[in-house]
This record gives sequence, C-alpha cells and structure tokens, in this order.
Amino acid sequence: MNPLIFTTILMTVLLGTMIVMMSSHWLMIWIGFEMNLLAIIPILMKKYNPRTMEASTKYFLTQATASMLLMMAIIINLMHSGQWTITKVFNPTASIIMTSALAMKLGLTPFHFWVPEVTQGISLTSGLILLTWQKLAPMSILYQISPSINLNILLTMAVLSILVGGWGGLNQTQLRKIMAYSSIAHMGWMTAVLAYNPTLTMLNMLIYIMMTLTMFMLFIHSSSTTTLSLSHTWNKTPLTTTLILITLLSMGGLPPLSGFMPKWMIIQELTKNNSIILPTLMAIMALLNLYFYMRLTYSTSLTMFPSTNNMKMKWQFETKRITFLPPLIVMSSLLLPLTPMLSILD
Amino acid sequence: MMTYIVFILSVIFVVSFVGFSSKPSPIYGGLVLIVSGGVGCGIIMNFGGSFLGLMVFLIYLGGMLVVFGYTTAMATEQYPEVWVSNTTVMGVFLLGLLMEVMLVLYVLKSEEVGVVFKFSGVGDWAIYDTGDSGVFSEEIMGVAALYSYGAWVVIVTGWSLFVGVLVILEVTRGD
Repeated sequence: MNPLIFTTILMTVLLGTMIVMMSSHWLMIWIGFEMNLLAIIPILMKKYNPRTMEASTKYFLTQATASMLLMMAIIINLMHSGQWTITKVFNPTASIIMTSALAMKLGLTPFHFWVPEVTQGISLTSGLILLTWQKLAPMSILYQISPSINLNILLTMAVLSILVGGWGGLNQTQLRKIMAYSSIAHMGWMTAVLAYNPTLTMLNMLIYIMMTLTMFMLFIHSSSTTTLSLSHTWNKTPLTTTLILITLLSMGGLPPLSGFMPKWMIIQELTKNNSIILPTLMAIMALLNLYFYMRLTYSTSLTMFPSTNNMKMKWQFETKRITFLPPLIVMSSLLLPLTPMLSILD
Repeated sequence: MMTYIVFILSVIFVVSFVGFSSKPSPIYGGLVLIVSGGVGCGIIMNFGGSFLGLMVFLIYLGGMLVVFGYTTAMATEQYPEVWVSNTTVMGVFLLGLLMEVMLVLYVLKSEEVGVVFKFSGVGDWAIYDTGDSGVFSEEIMGVAALYSYGAWVVIVTGWSLFVGVLVILEVTRGD
C-alpha cells in the first residue's frame, strides 16, 4: 500500500478511537466507532488473499451490527431522557442493548465467535492492532456507563467469556487463535470488575495491552504463526525463548510477574463486595488459560520440540526491527512490586 | 387522514426498507430507495423541515442515488432478481411485511400496551403544531448551528467521507 495512504488510514483509526474517548455527545461517539471501523478494514486487508478478505468481511459485519445496536440504544436513551450527553444511561432497555452492542465490539461471550476467525485470517501486525487498540474504544464507553449497567448480564457475560476463552484455546496450535482466545478471557476479567471498581478495569486493560503487545512482537520477531514454528526459536534467537516463557507465564497470571497484579486486585475487589463464589470460579477457570500458555512454553523454551534434522535450522530472514521490545518485556513481567502505587488512582 | 400522515408515511418508509433489505437485485433496491427517499422527505417536511426535505431530494436522490443507479446499470446481470423470482427473497419480504402489519395493529390499539415501548394509540404520531416558533424556522437555525457551533462535527464527517473514499479505493484496488 502506498505509504502516504497507509499513514492516513492508520491515523484515522487513531482519530476514531480518540473521538470515541473524548466526546460527550452520543452521536459523536457513534461517528467515532464508524470511523474506526471504516479505516481499519484496509489495514486488516493488507495482504490480498481470500483469507484476509473473508476475515475483514466478518469483522465488518459484526462491528457494523454492533454499531447499529448502539445507535438504537442511543435513540431509546434519547427518547426517555431527552438529552444526548453521555452520563449514565437512564433507561434499563437502552442500557441492556448498549451493553450487548459494546460486548459485540469487544468480543465477549456470547458474541465471541468472530474473534478467533478474524484474528486467524489476518497478518500478525494487523492482529496486534485488532486485539489491543480496538479494545480501547468500547472499554472506555463501558467505563463511562458503568453505574447503570445491568449487573446480571454483565457478570454472566464476563464469566462465560472466561470459560470460553479458557476452553476454546485448549485445542489450538495456531498462535493467532491462541491470542484471540486469550483476549476473550481477559475481556471477561475486565468486565467482571466493571460494576464494582472501574479503575481496575482500566488497570487490567493497561497490563493486558502491554502483555499482548509483547507476545505479538515476539511472534513477529521469530516470524512464527504456529506452535511448531515457534518451537524453533531456540535455533534463531535463543534469548527470545526465555522472554516468551516469562511473558506467557505473566499472561497466565502467575505471582511474581506483573500479570498477577490485575487478577489479584480484581479478586480482592470482588471479595470486598461479598461475592465469594464468583472470583473462585474465575480463578479456577483462569487455570485453563494457564494450561495452554504452559503448553506453548513447554514446546518453546523448556524442551527442544521433536522434528526432523533438516527442520532444525530456521531460515534467517533479515532481523525485523521491533519497536520498544525490551521496555515492553520489562513492563510485562516486572511490574508487580509497584502495586502499592495503585493508591494514587483514588 | 392528514392528522396521521406521519404514521402512514412511516409505514410506507418501513415497507420500502423491507423491500430492499430482502435483497433483490441492486437495481430494484435502488428503485425502492427512491420511494423511501421520497417518503422520508415527506416525513421531514411534516415536521417543518422543508430545507432538509429538499436536500434529501437533491443530494441523496439526485446525486448519490443517480451515481448508484449508473454503477449498478453497468454491473447488472441479464436476469436480475425480483422479489417474486426467488423464494427466499419473497419469504423475507413477506416476513418483514408481516412484522410491520403486526406493529401497525399494535400501535392502533388505543389503550396503552407496553412491550418494549409504550405506544398509546396513533395519537403518539400526530404532529401538534404549538405555533410558538413562528419567528424563525427551527431547522434552518439548526443547519446554521451546524456550521457555527457544530464545526467539529463538520470536520469529523468531512474527514470520514474523505477517508471513506480512500478506503474504498484501497479495498477494491487489489494487489
């Protein structure tokens, strides 16, 4: 793609999300979502083959449906409250429809079916943008309407997402699908605490984005999209095997690493609000996630995956320059001691 | 009948939307879009927005739909699909019609029945002219406000249209 056009379209994706996050008028928010959707389609279709076309079409259809539902919720809200400012949503019907629309945009269960298929069909860099940047806009709207969201629907969707994200990722060997299911599960964690303490949603989003960025950049660095291909990184850059190990365990939420911080805070916040069964279930289901991360680390860093002799040499392409990889790795693994800093968020 | 003209026009509006949503060939979709554009213009004019109604006809029907019609005529097939040629299309069209008829009957029941929305009979749809805003026309002031207080909206929508063209060119360009 012509670099100038590509830059313009990428900037429009950024502009769309910025408009969603900055606006106080519901119509502008809807316009921001549409601008974001329109501009990300050619980015998803950067390589022209039938898989990317199909993935972009699926993404467009689901997101457009979600935008239509959002518009209907906005109009119902207008009908019952008579104003367009984004505060809490005054009508329960509008609130439920809006929550469903934003859940469709995020990829929460029961609207999660597009996430693995779309992520698998596009290139790694496009998948990176899809799973990190595109989550910011809907999450910011959920944050703003969080006082009025129906708790039953939200918690059901969250718990089911963690379940689906855990179980769905178990049978996958394609790395992009694994990251997609991991995204579904993390979205579930984020929305579970939304009604209790939305700040923790933002914290979880921040740490999730850092970890997902790191993982995708490590995949891009070793040009691997399958588990088999990832298991040959010991041959190309042995250091990245250790980094993959650390980052994957951090994504699984293991204690000395920074991925533990959001889970810990979320469980603490939920138990402070007298719900015990829910965080227990969530923590147990996070083990499913941990299992397939462990399987990846097992084949990548802990063992030399069995392969024939001529496959042991990985073809060395010119090393891609990965922006910011060292700071990202540090941030996605060593942030846990900084947890007391969260008190500034009050 | 004139009191309930907005209701009647809205029914025709929804029926024509059903007509093109049931996906006949684009040429017939364009035909139905003309009808819905005209009826939409009628609805807007009943609320006092004569300028916006004129814009619908000129810009939407006379600009965008004409271009759409020409491009569809270039890309059309020998036997385009009508509503009655394909069982699926006719089925969807009849289903949409049925749902609209049920909604109309529901609105026409004069007691207040609440399913998701509360319609209290057709009275909801009649326009009550309070006669207050006789000094200036509201919708012209709205258009003026768009270009003064709403400059940000103009910038954003203008940019979206520009990027829309870029995106369409990129997507259809191929390799």
